[in-house]
Amino acid sequence: MTDPAKTEDEGGPIRFMPQLISLDYTVRTNPVAEAFGAALADGRITGHQCPNCHLVYAPPKGFCPICTIETTAEHEVPVADTGMVTSWTVLTPIQYTGQRERHDYALASILLEGADGTVGQQRLLEIPLDEIRLGLKVAAVWAPPNQREADDRGYGLGTAVDGWRPTGEPDAPAADYREHTL
Amino acid sequence: MELLYRRSLGPVVGAFLTGLRDQHVLASRTGAGRVICPPLEYDPESGDAVSDLVEVASSGAVTGWTWVSEPLRKHPFDHPFAWVLVQLDGADTSMLHALDASDMAAVSTGMRVQIRWAEERTGHITDIACFEPEALA
Amino acid sequence: MRDVAIVSFAQSGSLVDIAASETQMLLPVINAAVERSGIARADIGFTCSGSADYLAGTPFAFVANLEAVGAWPPISESHVDMDGAWALYEAWVRLQHGDVDVALAFSSGISSRSDLREVLCLQNDPYYLMPLWADHISLAALQARALIDAGLATEGDFAEVVARSRRSASTNPFAQLSGDVTVESLLAEPYTAAPLRAADCPPITDGAAAVILVAGDLAREVCERPAWIRGIDHRSEAHYPGLRDLTRAGSARLAGEQAGVGTAPVEVAELSACFSHEELLLSTALGLGDDTEVNPSGGSLASNPMMVSGLIRIGEAFRQINENGRHRTLGHAASGPCLQQNLVCVLEGDS
Repeated sequence: MTDPAKTEDEGGPIRFMPQLISLDYTVRTNPVAEAFGAALADGRITGHQCPNCHLVYAPPKGFCPICTIETTAEHEVPVADTGMVTSWTVLTPIQYTGQRERHDYALASILLEGADGTVGQQRLLEIPLDEIRLGLKVAAVWAPPNQREADDRGYGLGTAVDGWRPTGEPDAPAADYREHTL
Repeated sequence: MELLYRRSLGPVVGAFLTGLRDQHVLASRTGAGRVICPPLEYDPESGDAVSDLVEVASSGAVTGWTWVSEPLRKHPFDHPFAWVLVQLDGADTSMLHALDASDMAAVSTGMRVQIRWAEERTGHITDIACFEPEALA
Repeated sequence: MRDVAIVSFAQSGSLVDIAASETQMLLPVINAAVERSGIARADIGFTCSGSADYLAGTPFAFVANLEAVGAWPPISESHVDMDGAWALYEAWVRLQHGDVDVALAFSSGISSRSDLREVLCLQNDPYYLMPLWADHISLAALQARALIDAGLATEGDFAEVVARSRRSASTNPFAQLSGDVTVESLLAEPYTAAPLRAADCPPITDGAAAVILVAGDLAREVCERPAWIRGIDHRSEAHYPGLRDLTRAGSARLAGEQAGVGTAPVEVAELSACFSHEELLLSTALGLGDDTEVNPSGGSLASNPMMVSGLIRIGEAFRQINENGRHRTLGHAASGPCLQQNLVCVLEGDS
């Protein structure tokens, strides 16, 4: 990698300048994400069910993006901590500064039972990488209760779930995940 | 959030910043003869490319100012200071930088100021540490 | 040119330090604009949004914001990293193509999660200005000083703009700052960046707004009093303040001329004057006289959601025609330090 701080050849003309941009942000957790995070801390996954199209969003967004109507706590429904793999990838961690991963690992999109959309970027555990497949049935491996930090913006499951392990049930048929493979 | 970039400078901005490192102030001269400092690669009036660089003085006159009584943490000073527009002698436009002055009453449009050079210069606009009243010299 | 009119406008009002996500903030605003237009959502042929992810520090927030428009079926859309007034401009250009008749322009901004005086430094050139962290309030103060030095205005003039804005804002339920303040009390306040005081500068506001544009006869079918866009133009001038004559808003003058401001009287002008002295500069640049009412909403000094304030000005100019029976109004938006870039939109009602 080019050293961003390098600006010149010794004593010669300056051809580059470093520019450091640093900004501080306050992160506000919206009320929907906050309620979702509280449920996660409690070992529960929740979603919002659109009263119009009845699709269940987990994590909840506070609205249905298809019907463009708001959803609130009254539309909250429980979602299981079990589901199926609808997509996955194996990552080989590049050892850049700050990288904490050392070995190849898999992230998957998981369609939870009771939800109509997948949860992305979920770690797969207790399975050899070459045995991962679409339709694989999995269950959450919850983090210890005091380590379940919700995502600030309610995008995923935060650190509430360490990952997902195979349940040993038969794989789901393709018809069950075909609409969710992307 | 923090990101560090490495920006390429090109022949005009690069020459200007190289000049600052060596304690010279370069300006660009447009086809119409307008001397622009800090220099631009183009004539802001016509859009024509400009490559003619000339040296201007390291002192000049304040053409505009504002007094900052409570500096932000990223401002050049942690004590009250002025932002000034300074038309360096030989230039037709003004350069924006900080002015180290004792108080607001010490700043006025038209006052004479000079560059205070940074001790360590790396080819950056902050090689000019700030302006200071010329009388202090 | 195709005749294009604004037929509906909605805004969130001045939200302060909101916890909601940008998408959650936008959803009811877009819904309101669509409902008021009387046009089915499916009939919107083009959508353009304006926002800046730097404000709230959420990467790709502008993509997530599209969920507030409706995620399915897919739509034709675009985004500008500018005030929503420029999204409206792009939508107007798109309608000129002739193949779509309805467009949605919306914008949103959450300024409360960062320090605007730092974030807005990123709009400055990266070589000469940005490394100094010369913030937008300080740069505005240089322009205010230039007016004073040239004998074109006094601090008392600035305070009078503030007092009138606050007073006008009293009847605007969407304003953040309103009420009666005297020039004397304003002048007794300390400077933020002399000669500007806190009241000369805009408040920190979160918010969103949306506008529906319709071309041709359809506008009259769906709206009793559409506001026709009779002229719209945006111009920019040199970025570096030291290159410019700061006593003039040159690009605002050009945009006003191109939009035809001076061809007939303007009853109401909603100006995106974020700083008190900018209203004086803009009124001069646009040739507005005493017969023009400026910022009856209170303007950006009373409420200033970043990326939204300019679109609100056009929305308010629309309301003056649509609700208050005015005939000819204008909305103005600005971008960049010291009024570097300006957009002027002239609206007319049917006679």
